[in-house]
Amino acid sequence: MTSSSVGPASPMAGADEHTSADVLARYATGSADIAVVWSVEAHVMGCVRCRSTLSKHVDAERLARNRSVLLVRAALPEGNRLRRLLCRCGVPDHLLGLLAATPSLRRSWLLSVAGVLAVVAGEAAAVRYGWIGSAGRMGLARYPGPEVLAPFLLVAPLLVLAGVAAAFLPMFDPASQLAVAAPFSGVTLLLVRAVSALAAALVPVVAAAFVLPGPGWLPVALLLPSLALCAFALAAATVMNPRAAAVTAGLSWALPVLLLAAAHLPLLIVERNAQLACLALLCASALVLLVRHDRLDMGWTT
Amino acid sequence: MTVNVHTAAVRASGLSRRYGSTRALDEVDLSLDRGITGLLGPNGAGKTTLLSILATVNQPDAGSVSVFGLDPRDAAERVEIRRRLGYLPQELGYHRHFTVAGFLDYVAILKEITDRRRRAEEVARVMAAVSLENRARTRIRALSGGLRQRLGIAQALLGQPDLLILDEPTAGLDPEQRLRFRELLSDVPGDPVIVLSTHQADDIAAICPKVIVLLQGRVCFAGTPAKLAASAAGQVWAAAERDQKAHLSWRGADNLWRHIGDQPPDGAELVAPTVEDGYLLLSHATGAR
Repeated sequence: MTSSSVGPASPMAGADEHTSADVLARYATGSADIAVVWSVEAHVMGCVRCRSTLSKHVDAERLARNRSVLLVRAALPEGNRLRRLLCRCGVPDHLLGLLAATPSLRRSWLLSVAGVLAVVAGEAAAVRYGWIGSAGRMGLARYPGPEVLAPFLLVAPLLVLAGVAAAFLPMFDPASQLAVAAPFSGVTLLLVRAVSALAAALVPVVAAAFVLPGPGWLPVALLLPSLALCAFALAAATVMNPRAAAVTAGLSWALPVLLLAAAHLPLLIVERNAQLACLALLCASALVLLVRHDRLDMGWTT
Repeated sequence: MTVNVHTAAVRASGLSRRYGSTRALDEVDLSLDRGITGLLGPNGAGKTTLLSILATVNQPDAGSVSVFGLDPRDAAERVEIRRRLGYLPQELGYHRHFTVAGFLDYVAILKEITDRRRRAEEVARVMAAVSLENRARTRIRALSGGLRQRLGIAQALLGQPDLLILDEPTAGLDPEQRLRFRELLSDVPGDPVIVLSTHQADDIAAICPKVIVLLQGRVCFAGTPAKLAASAAGQVWAAAERDQKAHLSWRGADNLWRHIGDQPPDGAELVAPTVEDGYLLLSHATGAR
């Protein structure tokens, strides 16, 4: 491949051992095989003459195109450790790319969730352990037991629901029209976002439940109601406006919690019978979603 | 899936759409061929509603649409239409935390370009097409209105669509960018069907072989820009003084009053009509302005 035919061009090539114009042309057009590519690259690093010859064969348009692709690839984030881990676990990269537009996965949202939980759980812990007085605070002095958990029980599943609602309500997606007009399945997009938002919100909720002065099973007991509420909201969105569906789901949790709190029995909302009711709600919602999932596809529907 | 071959690539028949008591579209019939079609009309004429229906984002109360022989009422055919569609809505919201490249990458995924390498190539191609290639890392919140509009056009070009629907694409662009946009549309590969809505009659005159005028939810004109201009022949006058009897009059850059009306003002001279004159006369005749 060199003009003097002394083996492949290499950094050791002498002044008389230049790469032939034909090989350089093939290298420039990208049609040379990989061994030749390596050889040419090693040679031109140290040979001004071949670099000069090579530049005459370079397609400026192709070079500009390649530069643009490199700029784009450099501008696209590889993702954090979690994304890389999920990729290694087999989650398709493009699905993780879609999550970039999920508001409830953004740091500001998660910090807000953690903040609200910290305030609610902190106050409950402080009252329960007598670090702050409870006189005049909703009768907590008379009921220093489970009542202190009422605000947390009210807020925790609603925060999870809010995260999921933010993931599927068009009002939180400024580019929702593009998503509707795109061929990617709207239902898949919605479910991917909802599941990731659910997982992200459950972590701080369960963590907060661990530090609360409630029963030891409380962190686990919150999972099913949270899941059922989110599934109910999604299922309701197949028969009504998505925002109304989220509000309905929220009220269906808030009202019983408030009633039970007024009766000084807030823990009933996460105890056995309530868990069974949540399980039934979850199954019914899953069934509705299975049958009517196409109604979640926005735009021109059938 | 069988794709029927029609004379017109896109057809709409009897399209009607109401928002409460407001009738946005009133039994609209139209056909679009390959090439650029301009949709001209004032605010509230129904342009955005019509385009959103063609883009399968909105649903009509009555009527039917056929895009490349595909019916959007059928779920599978609707997806097929969306695979061949590039859409720039009138008010495109952006995820402001995205970078330019990140946003286009996101839209490319929505357009089912799932291979990472191919996506990067496609994103680079459309960025170069709208001269944004050096802004790949720029956050959208840092872009000016004109640059955002170019980004909107870029996302519509992803995937080399067969049907390109652009709602007010030149809004927010300065004169030089508008010229570049015209150049860009003229160079879109694959001879797609392009329909763009605008208020700018000069955009229509410059790049559209066909123009549709939509007034009060109805198609009032469909033909060439030359034919639209010719519809005002013999009714456009230039005079030194304003004529109160004219349907419309305004002072031009040459300091002469341009009148549109049936009767010539005193001392007026008949002038050659433009597309804008034809459009204004049509609007006046239908009472749309």
